[in-house]
Amino acid sequence: MNLGWLAAGIAVGFAVLGVGIGLGIATAKSSEAIGRNPDAAPLIRNNLILGAGLAEGLGVLSLVVGILLIFLTHP
Amino acid sequence: MRTIDKALTSLSPLPLLGVLAAIDIAMVLVGWVLYGLPTWPDITPSRILNLLTGEPLIRIVGDEISISNSLITMWIVMAILILLAYAGTRRLALIPGGLQGGLEVAVQTLVDFVVDTGGPAAAKYVPLVGTLFLFILLSNWLGVVPLVGQIPLLHAPTADYHITLGLAIVAFVGYQAEGIRTLGRGYFKRWLNLESFKEGPFLGGLLIFVGFIEFLAEVIRILTLTARLWGNVFGGEVMLVVMAAVLYVVAIPILLPFAGFEMFIGLLQAVIFSILTLLYFVLATESHEAHGESDENHATTTKEESHA
Repeated sequence: MNLGWLAAGIAVGFAVLGVGIGLGIATAKSSEAIGRNPDAAPLIRNNLILGAGLAEGLGVLSLVVGILLIFLTHP
Repeated sequence: MRTIDKALTSLSPLPLLGVLAAIDIAMVLVGWVLYGLPTWPDITPSRILNLLTGEPLIRIVGDEISISNSLITMWIVMAILILLAYAGTRRLALIPGGLQGGLEVAVQTLVDFVVDTGGPAAAKYVPLVGTLFLFILLSNWLGVVPLVGQIPLLHAPTADYHITLGLAIVAFVGYQAEGIRTLGRGYFKRWLNLESFKEGPFLGGLLIFVGFIEFLAEVIRILTLTARLWGNVFGGEVMLVVMAAVLYVVAIPILLPFAGFEMFIGLLQAVIFSILTLLYFVLATESHEAHGESDENHATTTKEESHA
């Protein structure tokens, strides 16, 4: 039983929790903004895509941590 | 195209389904005959880090300086892009034919996107940003193509963190050089703000500390650019392999939505890499007098103000 594998699961789980909540809030706010001002939809969509990409990058950093934990720890 | 459309829509679904099921069962049987029943994969630790990057095929110095399969696939990507560009611009006509028209649409979309995000002065960054976008897009999409990643000769370039590190270093050095070239020595004021000492030593010390943290955040950009692109593409590869293993018999039809999702992620990551590079360029070249607010949306908000 390699504790590194358990650590990898916990790390990625918590990170994706934060990313999921953040992206949900971002999408909700941008949908509300588009609803208020449909003419500005491309600008708002660009900001949403940019913010989503940045937040997903943080989630991917946790994936890197998980991979390092899986492959570089030995029981 | 029209004849292909007509042929595809005139097929009746049930015989087509039967043909697809027959092909599926034939491939599963061939796999059983050649490789036996599926077993748990045998991963030895020495090969694991090569799985993350791409295997070296021709070693020059040890394992690191070598011609790896991701390098060969990158040459294939470069060849495709160069051949497309060459074939499309060989005989430039005022009223463009098929390939030249398609290339014109692509270039016009890129220029519009860049000018939309960065302002009219950002048009000089279109070659770099456009090249990054096209290269990363084609590399990501090559990871979904059937043979790439399965045979030892081909490996998606952006699924190899060496190549994405190279792209990130190009973007980083590019925008730092552009910032220094535009602002001169005043470029470093955003980190080392010695004039704030006039208003008191405490404020000066605090701003030096803040500048140091911001400098670290700038250098971290290399790491985030690399890891975001590499993690998404490599994670997509892992997801495709795992889903194919899980679905196993019905993998061939049911894997298509996963491949589609992987293509969407590839497109999204290419857009994000290029737009972030463009934003870094714009942020580096604007004069940073109002220190304290460094949001990434500064460029887009100034564009909106100039519209209103």
